[in-house]
Amino acid sequence: MRTLIVRKLIVDERNELFVEFSSDFERVREYAALVLTDCPESFKEGKLLEQQLSEIIKNGIKHGNRRDPAKRLRVWFDFRKRVRFIVEDEGEGFKELDAWNDFYRRRQEALFREDIDAFLSLASYRGPRSDDDDGGNSLVAALEYWNGGMIYNGAKNKVGVVRWFTGGSG
Amino acid sequence: MEWTSLTDDVSKPAELRLVGDFDLYNAPRFCRFALDKIESGWPGLLLDLAGVGYLDSTGVGTIIRIVQALRKKGAKLRFRGLKGSPRRVLEMSNILPLIEEVS
Repeated sequence: MRTLIVRKLIVDERNELFVEFSSDFERVREYAALVLTDCPESFKEGKLLEQQLSEIIKNGIKHGNRRDPAKRLRVWFDFRKRVRFIVEDEGEGFKELDAWNDFYRRRQEALFREDIDAFLSLASYRGPRSDDDDGGNSLVAALEYWNGGMIYNGAKNKVGVVRWFTGGSG
Repeated sequence: MEWTSLTDDVSKPAELRLVGDFDLYNAPRFCRFALDKIESGWPGLLLDLAGVGYLDSTGVGTIIRIVQALRKKGAKLRFRGLKGSPRRVLEMSNILPLIEEVS
């Protein structure tokens, strides 16, 4: 028997799916918790979702906006059937993206070879603007966690991420 | 995050119990403490993370730096009580193969 399915377009008239923050590094985790206020508990996986979102917000505030309080961080979010975020900063963009991909490839190859010394030498990414607290590790875990993809815009100052929770995703 | 030493014998690997969030606000302070101690002669380190419910990439970076510092001295970092999202974060960061877990 055929079933008629008519989908419809939805408008977020109250702008509920968007929030904007100042670049206050001390409030990174508070911002993430605020975005997740209405997120279903089943998507949170304990504190894992909050942690992964915090990393993206931290990167935008610290590396993108360079903690400049005059610069804003914008977050679009959607919790229907899966978790999706788009986070935009007002910085120059992730100019080291290709260098980071090369670092990650070499890191994974060392791990695959079980070459622990080589892996340890590549365990942390050091870019021109990295400090002692940076290691590029947030992106390593992010590539595993965001199983629906992690994609930057052309200017590399805006990133979209998706995580699905069905179909064996883990 | 706070930490407590569970051993007094300086000839044995240090054992620390961590409680709280191992995050971007707390990890740098712990990193400085641990690296100073390793430099001054700790022969190894066991971290009890049963009281840690949150670990982020700054915490992972600290763990990597501790592993590197200990390895230079021929020593190891061991863990106890690793569970929940901190375990998942280390797993996703491919760091679990570097550490030894004890019960």
